[in-house]
Amino acid sequence: AVAGLCPCRAVFARRGGALRALCGSLRGLAAGPETHFGFQTVTEEERREKIYQVFESVAKKYDVMNDSMTLGIHRVWKDILVHKMNPSPGTLLLDVAGGTGDIAFRFINYVRSARERQLQRKLRHHQNLSWQEISESYQEDKSKSLGDSQVVVCDINKEMLKVGKQKAQHLGYSEGLSWVLGNAEELPFDDDMFDVYTIAFGIRNVTRIDLALQEAYRVLKPGGRFLCLEFSHVNNPLLSRLYDLYSFQVIPVLGEVIAGDWKSYQYLVESIRRFPPQEELKAMIEDAGFFKVDYQNLNSGIVAIHSGFKL
Amino acid sequence: KMAAAVAAAAGGLRRAGWRLWRGRAVFECHFCPPQSALHASAVLRRVSHEQEPFASSSQQQFDSHPSNHQPEQEPQGPRPSYTGQGGQESEDYESEEQLQHRILTAALEFVPEHGWTAEAIAEGAKTLGLSVAAAGMFHSDGSELILHFVSQCNTKLSELLEQEQKLVQLGDAEKKPTDQFLRDAVQARLRMLIPYIDKWPQALSILLLPHNIPSSLNLLTSMIDDIWHYAGDQSTDFNWYTRRAVLTGVYNTTELVMMQDSSPDFEDTWRFLENRIADAMNMGNTANQVQSTGEAVVQGLMGAAVTVSNVGTSSTVR
Repeated sequence: AVAGLCPCRAVFARRGGALRALCGSLRGLAAGPETHFGFQTVTEEERREKIYQVFESVAKKYDVMNDSMTLGIHRVWKDILVHKMNPSPGTLLLDVAGGTGDIAFRFINYVRSARERQLQRKLRHHQNLSWQEISESYQEDKSKSLGDSQVVVCDINKEMLKVGKQKAQHLGYSEGLSWVLGNAEELPFDDDMFDVYTIAFGIRNVTRIDLALQEAYRVLKPGGRFLCLEFSHVNNPLLSRLYDLYSFQVIPVLGEVIAGDWKSYQYLVESIRRFPPQEELKAMIEDAGFFKVDYQNLNSGIVAIHSGFKL
Repeated sequence: KMAAAVAAAAGGLRRAGWRLWRGRAVFECHFCPPQSALHASAVLRRVSHEQEPFASSSQQQFDSHPSNHQPEQEPQGPRPSYTGQGGQESEDYESEEQLQHRILTAALEFVPEHGWTAEAIAEGAKTLGLSVAAAGMFHSDGSELILHFVSQCNTKLSELLEQEQKLVQLGDAEKKPTDQFLRDAVQARLRMLIPYIDKWPQALSILLLPHNIPSSLNLLTSMIDDIWHYAGDQSTDFNWYTRRAVLTGVYNTTELVMMQDSSPDFEDTWRFLENRIADAMNMGNTANQVQSTGEAVVQGLMGAAVTVSNVGTSSTVR
């Protein structure tokens, strides 16, 4: 029944979209090349607008919805991403489409504990210090609990950034954190600035993925790392059926019940289906100029982490 | 004589097979260049070298000693980023593997401070002008750094032994007796650990992790084989295996003794090494002695039996 439902809706939407496109071209002026919004076909400008509206409306309930849709597993996925990054103190992270700050907070925690371990090791080495040196080291610790690490959270949506800033204040994250409004396709940063660029569950919503990848390449330092956490293609057929069932039947309902917004979560589920699978995304990342591009499937492909280096 | 010739041929084949088996690691090409290499790499340097077809360089690998499983001089897959008029000049970028080797080599100087960890690799990457995130290219437990170091040491040892051999061939130096040769070779190799001796126990434990055992075992056996080769081992029978097994045991135990040796310039370790090598030499003699003693005993018994039977027949005749 589910399999029958999806293509029907898709055909319906596509027919409507094709008609709209026809009218658009008849008017003699298209507002940009055609692209997809979920299973609909829209122009690029329209897509950007629609996605902005989606996230504007879900911003306040974003975290709650994440927890309920993925049954809390998204926290594990994000933990795995930061663990894979293995940032050392002094790393500069750019988290794009980082809205509510999940990755940024995890990064800060990780770097803080790494820094503590580093300091402990240093202290163990220096067993016989004078009182002067000990007091100096304590002063140094206070000012550098993060060890010069910094994270810049960049998002295109003001509402998401607002929610993120509130969360940061609430949880007590103050130093080493910046919030910037920006478009992933056109980042407001200089070349060769960041050590790591992450985009978690955001690249799906970017209209021109190739531009975003090129921007990522531009702002990374030589040797810098690109990490992308995103829903991807499930290779296990049985799991795929269950996943489809859950996605199209349960998630929009949850969206309506919890966030009062069926359409946004319908878009979410459809956008996951339209997103290129692992190998294709890997090829796109390589096209942008990254080397040693690799991906790791989590939960047999429900989510995948792609990694590449600017060499 | 026919049997001896066949045995020699078999031994030669076995040795060649051994080399082939180690050499096949040379051809593991994990690296596939991306389809569209339109972007000039930001970091990989231009490496211009003379036209050297892949086949001939691999031939060299067979004849000389493939002593490490990650050859540093082999240019893997030239990147076609610039094909101008000068088709003759093969200007290539260095491969990712070569860059990784450079990073690991740079990381070695930070090992005494940070240990064999991803942090040392990150510091190494920083000295090359790369971001610290480049350490993400490697495993987070530092295995690659240790394996790189071990293979570097093995290469250095091979070069040292080859130089010595050249001197002997030219007549500038005396050929050392086997036990002294082995002693000097093992000592030279172990001395390379001295700058990192504090963190070496950590490295040994990482090398024993299951996913590292194939590589570390490979490096160890190839090093031991090198030493015996330069010691002039021409055996074609079971001795080939015995000798390598014995020397591996000597090397490993000496390494462990070195870990907890606190004498000046590790004198205790070298004395331990001397004793073990002497034991190993004696073992060969003892085996021979046992054999000849056994033969003598059998002959004596045979003689006694013949005497007894002669006495018996002579008594019956009379």
